[in-house]
Amino acid sequence: MMLPILAQIFWTGFANAAYYVLFTIAFALIVKVVQLWNFAQAGMMGIAFYTMYTVINFLEWPTWAAFLIGVAVTAAAGLLVEFYGLRTLRRRRSSNLMFFIFTLIFSELIAYVLMFLFGTEPVTLFPSILSPVRIIHGIAVTDWDLTAIAVTSVSLIALWLFLQFHREGQFLLAVADNGRLAELYGISAQRAYLVAFAIAAVFSCEGMYLFGTRAAVLPTTPNDLMLFAVIGTLLGGMGRLFAAAAAAVVLALVQSYSVLVIASKWQGLVLYGFLFVVIVLFPRGFRLPGFRARRAIPSPTPVQAKV
Amino acid sequence: MNYINSILVLAGIYLVLSSSFDLIIGYGGLISIAHPIFYAIGAYTAGLLAIVWHVPAIPAILSGGVLAAVASVAMSLPAIRVAGDYLLIASIGFQLGLLQIIKNVEFTGGDAGLSDIPPAITGPSRAALFAAISLSLGVLVVLLIRWIVRGPYGAIITAMRDDELALLALGRNVTRIKVVILAVGSGLAGLAGGIYAFYYQYLSPSQFDVLQSAAILTMVVIGGMGTALGPVIGTFLLLGLPQAITFLQLPPSVMAPFQGILFCVLVLLFILVRPQGIIAARRPHT
Repeated sequence: MMLPILAQIFWTGFANAAYYVLFTIAFALIVKVVQLWNFAQAGMMGIAFYTMYTVINFLEWPTWAAFLIGVAVTAAAGLLVEFYGLRTLRRRRSSNLMFFIFTLIFSELIAYVLMFLFGTEPVTLFPSILSPVRIIHGIAVTDWDLTAIAVTSVSLIALWLFLQFHREGQFLLAVADNGRLAELYGISAQRAYLVAFAIAAVFSCEGMYLFGTRAAVLPTTPNDLMLFAVIGTLLGGMGRLFAAAAAAVVLALVQSYSVLVIASKWQGLVLYGFLFVVIVLFPRGFRLPGFRARRAIPSPTPVQAKV
Repeated sequence: MNYINSILVLAGIYLVLSSSFDLIIGYGGLISIAHPIFYAIGAYTAGLLAIVWHVPAIPAILSGGVLAAVASVAMSLPAIRVAGDYLLIASIGFQLGLLQIIKNVEFTGGDAGLSDIPPAITGPSRAALFAAISLSLGVLVVLLIRWIVRGPYGAIITAMRDDELALLALGRNVTRIKVVILAVGSGLAGLAGGIYAFYYQYLSPSQFDVLQSAAILTMVVIGGMGTALGPVIGTFLLLGLPQAITFLQLPPSVMAPFQGILFCVLVLLFILVRPQGIIAARRPHT
C-alpha cells in the first residue's frame, strides 16, 4: 500500500528536481568560471520569468517566441551585470564585500522593479497549470513531468558536450582552472565570463519556464529558488557542475519525502536545515567514499575573479 | 506632531540597526545579511514576554537583546569555524528559516502577525517619550560603537578585517573576535526590536524579511562603511527620502516598491561611483 505512494513521491520529486537542477547549474557555472557567489541570479531569474509572462499574456505571442525573447533579455541583463558592474569592481580590485553587495542589491532592485510593474499577486505563465496525466504502473505521470525531465536532460548533455568539445567551452574550463595561466595562453577571461553569464541566462530561463508552468511566481520567488541552487552548489562541491546537479536532485527528493514525516508548510525548513548541515559537515562538498574525479579540478574560493 | 514623533522613533531604531550593522560589516568585514532577523528576535521576544508573562518593558527589551545575541552565536559559530564566506550563506538560510518558523507557529501570531502588545507608556506624551527613548538609544549605540572601535579591541577588529592571516599569526583567536562582534551587533539590533514592539504594539514577519536587509545595508553603504558617522547620515538620508517623495502622491502599493527602487539604485550608484560612501573611512573600502 505504501510502495505506490513512495514511488509517486519519488517521481514527482524527481520531475520537480528539473528546475532546481537548471537553477543550480546556472549558479554553479558562475561560481566555477567567474568565481563569484552570483546573487544577481535571482534578479536574472525574475527577469526571465516576467519577460516570458509579458510576451505570452500581454503580447499573446507563441511560447517559443516568449522563451527566445526571455533568453535574450535575461542574457542581456547578465551581460550588463558583468560588463558594467562586476568588471568595474574587478578593475578596482574591490573586496568580496562589494561584490556581494552589488549582486544582492541588483536582485533586490529587480524584485522591486517587478513589484512596481506587475504588483505582488502571484502569477503563472499560462492561465492553467494543469497538465494531462497518464497512469503508468500506478504512478501518475504528467506531460509536464516528461517535458521537464527531457528539457533538463538535453540541456545537461548539451552543456557537457559544449564544455568538452567546443572551443569556447574548453576556454571556460581553462579560465575556471587558472584564469591567469589561461590568459597567458591567449584565452580571454573576460570573454569566458560573458559566455558563462549567457549560458547561465539560458539555464535560468529554462528553469523559470518550467517553474512558471507548474507553480505561481511572485517577484520575490526567485530569491527562495536561488537558495536551493546555493545549497546544491555547496553540496556538490564548488567547481563540480554535474555533482551540483546531482545534489539538487537529492535535495528535491529529500524535500518531497519530507511530507511523510512533517507538514508541507515546514518543507522549506528542511532546506535550511540542510544548509547548516552542509556548511558544517561538507564545506567542500559531499564526495562518495572512494570516488575520484577523472581530472583534478581545484575548488575555487567563491570570491571575485582576480584576473 | 505624532507623525514627526513616529519618524523620530524610527530614526532612533534605524540608528541602532545601521550602526550595529556597520560594526559587523564595516569594521569587522563580516558578510552577513541576517541583521533584520535579530531585530525580529528582539521584537518578538519583548512582545511575547509582555503579552504572555506581563514582563515590564525594560526587562523584556533587554531579554530580546540577549536572546538575539545568543541566536547570533548559534548562527555564526558553525559557519565561521569553517570559513568566512560561509557566514553569508548561513546568514541567508538562518534569516529565511527563522522567518518561516515565525510565520508558521501559532504563538507568534503566524502570518497575521503579533498584536495586543501592551503599550508600556500611556498618555498624551507617549509618542514624544518613545521618540526621546529611541533617539537616546540610537545616540548611545553610535557612541558605544565609536568607543569600541577607537579602543584597543577596535584596533584588533580592524586588523582582522584588513589582514586576518597576520592576526592569526600573532596568536589571536579570530573566531572568537568574529563571534563577539556578531553577538554585540545582533544584541543591539535585538534592543531596537524591543523598542519597535512596544511602540507599534504590532509585529508582522514581513517587516523583517530580506528587503529589510537591503534597507539597512543601503544606510550603511551610502553613509560610509567603517565610520561612526556614516550610518547616522545614511539613516537620516534614507528616512528623509520617502518623506521627500510623498508629493508624488503615489498609492501605497506603488510607493513601497518605488522607495525600494530608489534605495537600490542609490546603493548601486554609490558602489560603482563612490564606494567609500558619503563619509570616507580612514582606510577606504574599495
